[in-house]
Amino acid sequence: MNAQTDVRPERAIDSEATTAMATESHMLNPRFYTTDFDEMDRIDVTPVRADWDALLAQMKSDPNKGHFKKNEEWDAIDWEGMEPALKAEFIDFLVSSCTAEFSGCVLYKEMKRRGTNPDICELFSYMSRDEARHAGFINDALREAGIAVNLGFLTREKKYTYFRPKFIYYATYLSEKIGYARYITIFRHLEAHPEHRFHPIFKWFREWCNDEFSHGEAFALLMRTDPKLTAGRNVLWIRFFLTAVYATMWVRDHARPRFHEALGVDIDWYDQEVFRKTSAIASQVFPVELDIDHPAWVPTLKRLERAMVDMEGARARGGLGGLLGKLGAGARAGACFVRLYTLPVKRRTPPESVRMEPAY
Amino acid sequence: MGLLKGQIDIAPCTVEVVHVFEELSAHVRLDDGSVIHPGDSVTVSGAPVIAGYGESVTERRTATIRRAGPLRRAWTRLTGDLEFMELCEFSFSEDLKLEDAA
Repeated sequence: MNAQTDVRPERAIDSEATTAMATESHMLNPRFYTTDFDEMDRIDVTPVRADWDALLAQMKSDPNKGHFKKNEEWDAIDWEGMEPALKAEFIDFLVSSCTAEFSGCVLYKEMKRRGTNPDICELFSYMSRDEARHAGFINDALREAGIAVNLGFLTREKKYTYFRPKFIYYATYLSEKIGYARYITIFRHLEAHPEHRFHPIFKWFREWCNDEFSHGEAFALLMRTDPKLTAGRNVLWIRFFLTAVYATMWVRDHARPRFHEALGVDIDWYDQEVFRKTSAIASQVFPVELDIDHPAWVPTLKRLERAMVDMEGARARGGLGGLLGKLGAGARAGACFVRLYTLPVKRRTPPESVRMEPAY
Repeated sequence: MGLLKGQIDIAPCTVEVVHVFEELSAHVRLDDGSVIHPGDSVTVSGAPVIAGYGESVTERRTATIRRAGPLRRAWTRLTGDLEFMELCEFSFSEDLKLEDAA
């Protein structure tokens, strides 16, 4: 435990101390969702019972309980000396990751609370535990950088939107598996090139991403309980999710050149590598795979990226010219997305047994 | 009241915040079993909940639930899915241009 937590002054003093130490605060802004809880209560994991029980037993044993601790491996960081552009991108990485883990924790806990199906409630309690732990770990790294969390959202008006359960499965499954692929690819790269490891948090990525991997496994099993979820018209949804998630990742990663340069990572290579790993893993449950080696794939992603940057520029310019620029760039981005979505896909037959182990 | 706006309900709630090294989490639980439906808005009354680093805070508060009318509820059910990207994490924010940290 961090030495700073050993003393617990009164709240007012502690809050003051936090404010004094922190030069800025970042507002946690999770979204709030509802779903069809009755449908989730009706899930029957019988068809995958053996795999389900094994996975939940593993999650219950909490193999990473001791992992998220600072030890001598946690090197001191010279935040003041960090190049400003890199610092800005790295802090964006920490804040976004912390918010994502925090939002996951809120969503999973809500699902556990609202549900009555014991299998599902148990799963969500473990996932919520892991996400809260990850959020705490990143939060500590942010505190070292002089950035405090702001929980002001708690007393703000919260609007609840709605997702059908299957959308939650597709999106969170993909998000957890892509998270695994992203972290493990960086971890392996830095194993080979430790001179690029500019912050100790990357040393924790391997065990961290194993949590992401097993969360993804749980959603893969859930999708296997109902064959309709990965057949018929839903295949078009799956293609849509894959395309949207891959394209978004490409655009956002390319907007962080200093972060990747500092890691010694070529972003084109990194993103394609992450897509490749994610696609190989997702063949456990999805009947289609995007053809990322298609001659039009990378060039269309690059055009999409330029269109998105132009759109941002037009938005910043404002006025009539900005509006027209935004419309034009938006149309180009839309056309790129349609092109990516309609590229031929590879058909896959998911294996009999769905379970996989993290192997990269 | 109407198709867009529904009634306003008041419910007792418990706010739990854990702000320690091992965990960062925050939840609002409605204590009387009130159920939130698509399109509803919830506001927890009172001053901001403050949990300094190293603290776990549990507070009893009151929540105001602004119910969505039938039209808003239907609309939220119909279109909520379109915001699915919110469920995905990408390591970075959507801002394509960042201000340099000073």
